[in-house]
Amino acid sequence: MLHRLRLSLRNHLNQWVFQLRDAEPGEAFLNQRRVFIMPTRAGLAFVVLLIVLFIGAVNYNLSLGFGFTFLIAGCALIDMHLTFRNLAHLYLRAGRAQPVFCGEEAQFELHLINRRKHDRYALWLGFLEDGALGIAHAVDVPANTTCNITLSCHTVKRGWLQTPRVRLQTRFPLGLLRAWSYWRPDLQALIYPRPELQAPPLPMRAKGDDTGAGSAGHDDFAGIRAYQPGDQLKHLAWRQIARIDLEDGGTLVTKHFEGGGASELCLDLTALPPQMDLEDRLSRMTRWVLDAEAAGLPYAFRLGAHHFPAALGPAHQAACLSALALYPGAA
Amino acid sequence: MKFAASPLPRDKSDTLLLLGTCLLVLAPHLLRLPGWVSLFCGLLLVWRGWITFRGNRMPPQWLLLPIACAAMAGGYFSHRTFFGRDAGVTLLVLLLALKLLEMRAKRDLFTVVFVCFFLLLANFFYSQKIAMAALMALSVVALLVTQLSFQYTGLVPPLKARVAHGALIFALALPVTLVLFVLFPRIQGPLWSMPSDARSGRTGLSENMTPGNISDLANSEEVAFRVEFIDPIPRRGNLYWRGPVLSAFDGRTWSRMTPLRNDAGPLMVERRGPPVRHAVTLEPSGHPWLFALELPEYAPVVAGRPAGFTGEIEMHSAHRIEQRVRYDVSSHLDFDTGLDLTEAALQRWRSLPAGFNPQTLAYAARLRAETPEPSALVNQVLAKFRREAYRYTLTPPLLGRDSVDEFLFSTRAGFCEHYASAFVVLMRGAGIPARVVTGYQGGEFNPVDGYLTVRQSDAHAWAEVWLAGKGWLRVDPTAAVAPERVERNLASVIPRQAFGGLLNLDMSEDTLLGRVRFNFDAVTNQWNQWVLNYSADQQQNLLRSLGFTQTDWPALIGLLFAAGSVALAIVVLPLIWNRRKIDPATALYHTLCRDLARRGLPRAPHEGPRDYGGRIAADQRLPATQRIAIGRFLTLYESLQYAPQPQRDRTQLPFRVSHPTVAQLKNLLPQCR
Repeated sequence: MLHRLRLSLRNHLNQWVFQLRDAEPGEAFLNQRRVFIMPTRAGLAFVVLLIVLFIGAVNYNLSLGFGFTFLIAGCALIDMHLTFRNLAHLYLRAGRAQPVFCGEEAQFELHLINRRKHDRYALWLGFLEDGALGIAHAVDVPANTTCNITLSCHTVKRGWLQTPRVRLQTRFPLGLLRAWSYWRPDLQALIYPRPELQAPPLPMRAKGDDTGAGSAGHDDFAGIRAYQPGDQLKHLAWRQIARIDLEDGGTLVTKHFEGGGASELCLDLTALPPQMDLEDRLSRMTRWVLDAEAAGLPYAFRLGAHHFPAALGPAHQAACLSALALYPGAA
Repeated sequence: MKFAASPLPRDKSDTLLLLGTCLLVLAPHLLRLPGWVSLFCGLLLVWRGWITFRGNRMPPQWLLLPIACAAMAGGYFSHRTFFGRDAGVTLLVLLLALKLLEMRAKRDLFTVVFVCFFLLLANFFYSQKIAMAALMALSVVALLVTQLSFQYTGLVPPLKARVAHGALIFALALPVTLVLFVLFPRIQGPLWSMPSDARSGRTGLSENMTPGNISDLANSEEVAFRVEFIDPIPRRGNLYWRGPVLSAFDGRTWSRMTPLRNDAGPLMVERRGPPVRHAVTLEPSGHPWLFALELPEYAPVVAGRPAGFTGEIEMHSAHRIEQRVRYDVSSHLDFDTGLDLTEAALQRWRSLPAGFNPQTLAYAARLRAETPEPSALVNQVLAKFRREAYRYTLTPPLLGRDSVDEFLFSTRAGFCEHYASAFVVLMRGAGIPARVVTGYQGGEFNPVDGYLTVRQSDAHAWAEVWLAGKGWLRVDPTAAVAPERVERNLASVIPRQAFGGLLNLDMSEDTLLGRVRFNFDAVTNQWNQWVLNYSADQQQNLLRSLGFTQTDWPALIGLLFAAGSVALAIVVLPLIWNRRKIDPATALYHTLCRDLARRGLPRAPHEGPRDYGGRIAADQRLPATQRIAIGRFLTLYESLQYAPQPQRDRTQLPFRVSHPTVAQLKNLLPQCR
């Protein structure tokens, strides 16, 4: 109880001291109040160095020793302002985030806009996830330019993923001080459910149920055609490809199969065994959507209120996957 | 920004830069340290450079450790200690050279840079000249550039830009340094007793004198002290700077007689005439003697402690002078001392060792018989020096056991010590109390800054005799032989020699070389006065002269922070506020956008003023009057920014045209809020 109280108090204090704000729409501006600065370990060692130099100057009555000590102390003071300047007054804007499958790394595009006349070097950006810092990336933002950086973050559940808080920090130019700031970009990535690894084959259902003539459309070899992106690797016509000279302008070729039009594919959550865990069922649906797209089989999709007629193509796939990602559930 | 690709990979060029900087830092030390240390460090640096060039692997620890141990042992055997100044510097130098071979992480870079800072400070143990300060400033810039170069992660500007950046940091730090230097509360050191090697190799007057033993007086141009006169400078012949008094004679060597104590009791001194006030800046000598014009009125306060006089009016400080000190004194040129001495007390200054200089003693006895009147006797001896073939020379022949006999009757050549010694022996032989006074005579007036510079070559010895009713009288027998030595300076008697005597350079006041020398000397003096001699006392004086009556610690720290903040603000604010200039119309537009964003209607990044205006006009949350005003504002702004410019009347200035529009925008803005 006491521990939790302390934790919450610390969180509040942190939030107030470090100005941990919620996602900021539009451009965020790192004003003076949002940039913090502290000596690094090297900086603390530098302070000890200054004290020892000062004592040396006093003990040997070295006037130039005083001057020297004050000079390098002055350099550290200037360094403090330069470090602050290297980070402060930077404009930040969230870019785009592509949807990914759960378990993959979500990629967030961020823009750093430098509207000042000085170059900024060695800014380190990293996500602050559960208090721990993710891998930080260094960027340089020259004067009056915008720099794009993509940060990735691990995904553990489907749905919208709000960008974690970003920590920007810099030790430039002398490394004696560290200036840092926090920013929560107003950016969300859609996380699709994790595709099941070993899913059963697609639930094919014959159109005319009694004939039993429906085939998967994989068997009737009907010739070859030019390769299109999305064609399965196993359908490539390797024997023909081996004879093609790609440098003569030849392209890859794919074996073309016919058949399969005879059957109808419908992906329906309710058709799955109800005793299965909801997330597992969604995973399987996801896998099937991917499989059907890969096989080039039009598929209908039913999930809660969503009823998509049989279709094929990226737009259809995206609609289905979004529906799966956002399906309300325990997750 | 366009960066030329460096021919070397980045880490290599950084390491080479670090090596170069370390070499710059080590160079002044390597010239001073024992030969093997310099050689060893040179080899280590070359080894490190070789590793960097070839991209070889760093030496393993099992190889480095024995080398490091051997180096430390060598350092110990060179100095017989690990402590103290020279041993410490040797160890630091070795440590730096070895650390370069053991750099693995970024942390090690800081270790190297910090050791370099220590070594830079250590240079000031040996020299605080202007040239040294300039070299140190250069080294600091080099260190900053090195430290800076290791901080880049992606783009690395060319070396020239990095040097400019390092120099910028240095330049911006200078005002702060100045404020700290002037106002940081000074503590009078040392905090603990200094290691014995902190003072070494000082020259100056010694406390005894053996005239026959020196055949070539070192003609040192080193400065003994500098004097700033508040009152007009007295005639050159009166510039006698009194030092130790030598009254004990063992036949060959003169030495001091009175113990060094402050409780000499009240001195009977009668002063006449106006005082001559002056301030003396004494170079460290390792002796306690303080110099002033004969005869100082009171003992000055030196580095916070009162000085004192011995019974023979030798002014001395409580401690040996290990630092440059400055003190104010006021002297009377016309004075009487020793009027109250009793016959018993005077006996001390008549004694001579038995069995030395029989010829001289016989001559003295004869003189006394011929001339019983003491003052006449003094004049007769001086006349003898003047009349007979006595010579003033800095390279006199060596003298044997009865040095005075040989000098007076056979060699007849010598410098001030010979004359003073012989004169005093003659006086004592004739029963007149006499003693040798050492010190400096004359000095060189620098027309550039008005200071009088007294050098070691101005060291002088003269005599004092005691006459009834007159007390101690100064008699300078050298003046009888070589009056120019006293009236002008040594250079007029012996030509100043340069390049080991190969060339005789005329460095007197009127030549170009002389003027250069005076200017250089004046700059050095100012440097000494204002930079090197800036102590707690000087700080107090400066602040009082600036009108700060309260100069205790809290007041000083408050002043330091106030002045420091101002200096820092002047330097840093232009750095931080280096925004782009935007035109006034756009500034007003941004104000409006910010205002609307606060009220929940932010402008989308892709929206121009027209689209934004359209969206706002449709928004029902704002009152209609405001929406209209905003619409008008945005239309006006759009036309101002993007509409084709009307053909301007050539007679009209451009801002006349745009000005009313900006004013209109400004008027509209309050209505939009």
